[in-house]
Amino acid sequence: MINFGYTASESRHIDMDERLHPAIEKMLHREPSLKECIACGRCAAVCTAGYFTGMQFYRLNLMAHRGLINEMKQAARACMLCGKCQMTCPKGVNIRHGVLLMSQITDVLDV
Amino acid sequence: MYHPFVLPFVVGFSVMGVVLVARYIYWLRGMSPGNRQRVLWGFFSRSTLLAVKEILQESLLHLKIFRVNPLLGFMHASLAFGWFMLIVGGKLETWYYTGNFFNPPYYAIFFRYFEPLTEGFWMNGVLLFYMELSLLIVLSGLSIAVVKRIRKKVVGMNNTTRHNPANRIALFFLWMVFPLRLMAESATVAVHGGGSFLTTVTSSLFLSHDWAVWLELPLWWAYSTGLGLFFLALPFSRYLHIPTEMVMLLLKKWGVQPEPGFNPEKGVQAFEVHSCPGCGVCLDVCPAMGAGINSFQSAYFVRQVRAGHNYETIADMCLNCGACKEACPVGISLESLRLDARSHLHRKANFDHRYLHGTMTLWRDTTEVVLYTGCMGRINPKTTQAVKSLLHEAGVKFIHLDEHESICCGRPMALAGAAEQAKMLIQRNRELIHGQNGQLLVTTCPICYRYFSSEYDLNIPVLHHSQFLWQLIETQKLNRHKGNLRYAYHDPCELGRGANCYDEPRNLLYTVGELVALSSERNKALCCGNNIGSLTLAEEQKQKITANTLTVLSENSPDYIVTACPMCKNTLSRQSTLPVRDLAEVMLECKEVNVAGSRTRKKQASVNVTP
Repeated sequence: MINFGYTASESRHIDMDERLHPAIEKMLHREPSLKECIACGRCAAVCTAGYFTGMQFYRLNLMAHRGLINEMKQAARACMLCGKCQMTCPKGVNIRHGVLLMSQITDVLDV
Repeated sequence: MYHPFVLPFVVGFSVMGVVLVARYIYWLRGMSPGNRQRVLWGFFSRSTLLAVKEILQESLLHLKIFRVNPLLGFMHASLAFGWFMLIVGGKLETWYYTGNFFNPPYYAIFFRYFEPLTEGFWMNGVLLFYMELSLLIVLSGLSIAVVKRIRKKVVGMNNTTRHNPANRIALFFLWMVFPLRLMAESATVAVHGGGSFLTTVTSSLFLSHDWAVWLELPLWWAYSTGLGLFFLALPFSRYLHIPTEMVMLLLKKWGVQPEPGFNPEKGVQAFEVHSCPGCGVCLDVCPAMGAGINSFQSAYFVRQVRAGHNYETIADMCLNCGACKEACPVGISLESLRLDARSHLHRKANFDHRYLHGTMTLWRDTTEVVLYTGCMGRINPKTTQAVKSLLHEAGVKFIHLDEHESICCGRPMALAGAAEQAKMLIQRNRELIHGQNGQLLVTTCPICYRYFSSEYDLNIPVLHHSQFLWQLIETQKLNRHKGNLRYAYHDPCELGRGANCYDEPRNLLYTVGELVALSSERNKALCCGNNIGSLTLAEEQKQKITANTLTVLSENSPDYIVTACPMCKNTLSRQSTLPVRDLAEVMLECKEVNVAGSRTRKKQASVNVTP
């Protein structure tokens, strides 16, 4: 691995080679654009629900990749699906569909 | 009168009858008690007669299609009404000939075989002429249908439905039936004589007497078999729409209400879903079609719903712009059907908005207008600012309700199929609006406007800002001079087709300048492409739709593209080379234009496909 001179806590690493949780795999299969997220944070800046609860979509997506399914599901439930995030997303992620899947992840995407 | 060749027809017809009756009884039993009551009440009322009139106009004569596209209308009408004429004629013929009103159905259908030389007064000739005329009408419609399959442009269609195997089989037999009837009757005429203007010609042209003796019976067998197989395929193909559409028209006239939930095999929804003929009118109007996306149009959606599988992706992908619903000649409520399907798919979605605390307002000044700019207004501050400036200018006392914090109106949740979960949002917003002591709610977002007017049950009227600004102009609280800039107006789906508001925005633009004509506008307007109606449509596809819409909008090289929806504005301005403005911004800007009197025309309008 190239050393850029940064340090990060081991527990916060996302190892892309590691296998994801099957439910997350299914979610990414249903909404492939979630893989495009670059965690720039624009979605969080405009979020209506985030104003009240601190919900940040890009963090939900990171949680998904870290395997924090329950935390992700709980946080996703605050969303109002208003779609402002989608309007600002530079990568064209279908955030509304992503959140819709996240909010019901273990119920619908059974493994 | 009997011959074994009638058996295929009798079997096919009986099976169809049994299946139809069984399915209809099952569907009717699934109706809600309220609707069953309505059917019972409506049965012996004037509405039944009105429904019969509509059945004649729409199921047989297809007037709605005729008005839009005469040739296509004639194709549908000649097949349906011509066949109806044949059925009525057959009844009259047998009645006249035997003196009994009731005869076995095959006797009327194969009448020419059983009675090749009918004798009688002038009436006989008239009936014969009438029957052959009806057959000719059907055959003319059929030939247009065949041409349409090969070259759809001839009948003015850009797209026709891709059919599945069951529908193709049924279509094949339907196409076979009438030419076979003509040939069988011609053979009989060639053998026995008789016949009217059509069969005498065809028999003398194609059939010698010797050949006809050989071919007569096989042809009648073929006709009967074709007819029997078509009837056999009918309840399992799109042709189920023929009887179902008539029943649905009756149900509608009896005032049945839509039933909650997604039940394509139960109750009113079953009748609605099965009355889709898959005619393909919805394909040509779909904005996605122009961008080369041809998988999720309503004809395919309804077909998959009927089949009970593979409708999931289609349901989620559509933009819900409502163009297909507007164009549907059968009047199927496609939008609510799609949303019902979505709420069935996402029934486990579990949102929790209890973090929105209730507000309690003890006392407030009365105010004229409560301004609500919605979520999309927040990412379009220019529009919001323009509306506010205009209100100041007109001297309207207003409160900007969601200046600091906004709660979504709930329509996006409904569009995602989670309408049930939007209850909390509605409740909180209603509390906020009622707490303002206002006389009028004005919103800059058509999505909010539509939901406020349909779901909120507010104690004050709701207007979209275009409507309110037009009121201000009309009452001369706001004055504008007509400039010479040319505007292309983009109808937002939710405001135009959704809330039937087409004129106010146009009136406003007429006040300040010229409005250019577009090839598809008003209820045929294209979607901006980034409507929140779609859940899964990929970004590139949305961009293609936007580019296509922009091509139409810049057809007559306007100076500005104007819209009345913050979301449309946002989407269009990303890809447009022409400036995109909200109506309010134009109204605000136009003062300067009049002072300067300058006219800056773009030399060549072009559309940038990549953002």
